[in-house]
Amino acid sequence: MAKYILKRIAGIFIVLFVVMTAAFFMMRLMPGGILDGVEENLSADMRDLIYAKYNMDKPIWEQYLLFLKGIVTEWDWGVSLKLYVNVSVWDILAERIPITLYLGFLSLLISVPIGIAFGTLAALKKNGIVDHAVSFLVVLFISIPSFVMATGLQYFVAYKWGWFPLIYDDSLPRITTTFLPVLALSFSPIATITRYLRAELSESLNSDYMLLARTKGLTRVQATMRHALRNSLVPVVNVIVPAFISIMGGSLVVESIFGIPGLGGITVRSINVADYSVTLASLIYYTLISLAAILLVDISYGLIDPRIRMGGSKDA
Amino acid sequence: MGETMIQVKDLRVNFRAWAGTVQAVRGVNFELKKGETLAIVGESGSGKSVTTKAILGILPSNARITSGEILYNGKDLTKLKEKEFYDIRGKHISLVFQDPLSALNPIQKVGKQICEALKKNEHMSNGEAKKRAIALMEDVGIPEPETKFSQYPFQFSGGMRQRIVIAIALACNPEILICDEPTTALDVTIQSRILDKIKELKAEHDLSVIFITHDLGVVAGIADRVCVMYAGKIVEYGTVDDIFYEPAHPYTWALLSSMPDLDTKEKLFSIPGAPPNMMYPPKGDAFAPRNRYAMEIDFEQEPPFFKVSDTHYAATWLLHPKAPKVELPEVLKHRIQRMKEEREGA
Repeated sequence: MAKYILKRIAGIFIVLFVVMTAAFFMMRLMPGGILDGVEENLSADMRDLIYAKYNMDKPIWEQYLLFLKGIVTEWDWGVSLKLYVNVSVWDILAERIPITLYLGFLSLLISVPIGIAFGTLAALKKNGIVDHAVSFLVVLFISIPSFVMATGLQYFVAYKWGWFPLIYDDSLPRITTTFLPVLALSFSPIATITRYLRAELSESLNSDYMLLARTKGLTRVQATMRHALRNSLVPVVNVIVPAFISIMGGSLVVESIFGIPGLGGITVRSINVADYSVTLASLIYYTLISLAAILLVDISYGLIDPRIRMGGSKDA
Repeated sequence: MGETMIQVKDLRVNFRAWAGTVQAVRGVNFELKKGETLAIVGESGSGKSVTTKAILGILPSNARITSGEILYNGKDLTKLKEKEFYDIRGKHISLVFQDPLSALNPIQKVGKQICEALKKNEHMSNGEAKKRAIALMEDVGIPEPETKFSQYPFQFSGGMRQRIVIAIALACNPEILICDEPTTALDVTIQSRILDKIKELKAEHDLSVIFITHDLGVVAGIADRVCVMYAGKIVEYGTVDDIFYEPAHPYTWALLSSMPDLDTKEKLFSIPGAPPNMMYPPKGDAFAPRNRYAMEIDFEQEPPFFKVSDTHYAATWLLHPKAPKVELPEVLKHRIQRMKEEREGA
């Protein structure tokens, strides 16, 4: 197991390196640059001076090596070029990552149990009125993107009814002020998990091992909880990664809607103004968090299913 | 062989399907006596498994028992609520499944799956249950039960898994064991070992067994009495000798003729046609369209049971006093002759 995890971590670094390299070159080879819009007002000397300051006068591969060297030797991710000129990118990120992570994990933490509960309910009452109601909501919530949901919640719950603050407010407790954005982000993963669990569980409920469990004299609830549910969680764990990644993607826009000072908002803004170093760093961050989520899920796979955990070793 | 353990009376089970109602079991009567092995034989879809599922109350949700009784201990099992079955399943009546590969929970240790029944029904502690489970595993012939106790089903072969399923079924000392084609999914060498095991355990635990199979070869080795089922009905029943040496129903003839033995030289007989669509059960004798001895009345009116001997009954118009005398098919006569010789030789 330890060897497996080490191998996976090494793999993560390789993927990260490839993404980083590709992103760096793609961004820098695109037309436009940090002086867009102000270039006409600058003298040629001025321009050269600014380029020299940020190593932009050197060939691009040398810039890339310098960038890597900075990270490896001094944990130096460069400085912001436009949004917060000369502020260290790492400081900008470090300040914003916690709130974004908070949104993401809280949303996931809410989605998984609720999704499992609804999925179980729908599977147990399959083809009944409850199941149809749940399935209808699932389709609705999968189809509505989180930013539409966010706008709707903001308009009705916050503006019309005034139950929650309209935008992020530092002075309020975090849970109140982030309630609506977290909610907006949770609908789609809840629906996804419900849908998968319903399908998996209704298959498990008809399996032979469920019949065997019942012929042992277990009650329907005992048999479902101990045998069917755990078996159907194996494939469901697999949709948690895409769900988490879609939460992260949704938070890009939802953060802007609620004015949350998180990574999502700044990523969008840095792309708009071509603040290369900030864009690159947040991209790397998103890659890393997604890869970590995948690793986590793969490990928990093994915890749930012994066939995966013991797959390699033939000590039977 | 005395008291009656289970009595099934005029059992009818329908399935609601998308295209209509399937009449899977159409009035089945039989009884299981204490200490005997009753085999129920028939093709796929003849309603054997449905009958046993009805006994245990584990019919799928689209099935309905439309009439009949299943009497066990003075109770009618068809009237029981799910809750009342919790004290019967596993404790008094157990089931061994057809496919051991899918009957065990793939992600739970086999030991735990055996203990679960013990803890639920016998209220044993973890320690006691483990001890008993290991003893059971040894009983059903699993080597190194202590090690195997904490292994997962995927680490077992098919035969070993079926032994575990049998151990689970026997865990709480049931009186009745229902075996639903327990050897169908296993290869032939394992088959005979599992059958021997079941026979041995039956004597040891004083069980009454209902044995479902489509394999007459298996029946000969294990059963005391046999019911032959076709299209949701029993068409002939009797002792194992009655059925094998003096079969009376053309369907039983056909089944026996299509069973190969070591001396089969001629082309093996196969029953022409296919079983009827049970959504529209035919009028008269359901087997008539495939029966070369069918008479006109077979297509008109359903035959009642005619007595062949005190233990042997068959539902075919051929036994009617006015029916023409029909000889057993040549092939079958030879086969029965060979079976008799074999038995005398052995």
